[in-house]
Amino acid sequence: MSASVGSDRTTLEHDLLAELSAVHRFALHLARDAARAEDLVQETFLKAWTHGDQFQRGTSCRAWLFTICRNAFLKGEGRTTRETPTEDAELEALGAAALHGSVQATDPTGAVFERAELDTAVQEAVAKLPEEYRTAVVLVDIEDQSYAAAAGILGVPLGTVRSRLFRGRRLLQQDLLAYAQDAGLLPAMKEPTR
Amino acid sequence: MISCREVMERLWDYLDGELPPEATLQFADHIAACKRCFPQYQFEFAYLEALARQRQRVPGPSDALVQRLRAILST
Repeated sequence: MSASVGSDRTTLEHDLLAELSAVHRFALHLARDAARAEDLVQETFLKAWTHGDQFQRGTSCRAWLFTICRNAFLKGEGRTTRETPTEDAELEALGAAALHGSVQATDPTGAVFERAELDTAVQEAVAKLPEEYRTAVVLVDIEDQSYAAAAGILGVPLGTVRSRLFRGRRLLQQDLLAYAQDAGLLPAMKEPTR
Repeated sequence: MISCREVMERLWDYLDGELPPEATLQFADHIAACKRCFPQYQFEFAYLEALARQRQRVPGPSDALVQRLRAILST
């Protein structure tokens, strides 16, 4: 092995390990099972290490690992990336505004979302989302990826990420507000205008 | 001048930092001055913060996994 190849491998090793926590979180959200998530992470790192020459320096190592991880997940599920009908992102956003309208009188600023009691409910609600919406929400809202980065990871157009994200957010919000109402954290809601 | 409806439609884009700079400034001005849009902004901001908190809630990888990965990366 030449000195420069050895140095590249050392850099790659460092870069991969630096992303371990993020990849593990992403795998947990995908698999929703601790053992399966660890298998996914191991598979992701093995592929990344074996095909390290495919990583382009100057691009996001995290995004590259997320791509490998999701592809491994879909393969394990016996699925390929598929296009689902694209929702209208603006309509989803207006739906969320209507949802806000239903709690405006009792919680206009979303104080309920700051309650620690809601954190477990958020985790469960995210896990319940269909995979396409869950992945978009996890990438953008939890892993702080841009729409463009998420589109690259998922291999779909940016508009598709946006509509999946907005749909996922609206479904989650609906679920969480219903939970908060049932748990007595919020008074009964008015039926949102659709 | 942007309308409340435009703000409602693109509020998440604004909160995600996905609007062009000029539109971002227009949205910021509108939201700061609008009694209808400001609470909606606060509500969505709190919601997205609750989602972002999940980053800290997920347990880290096990020691066994870390050891297996280190073994892979040493080959």
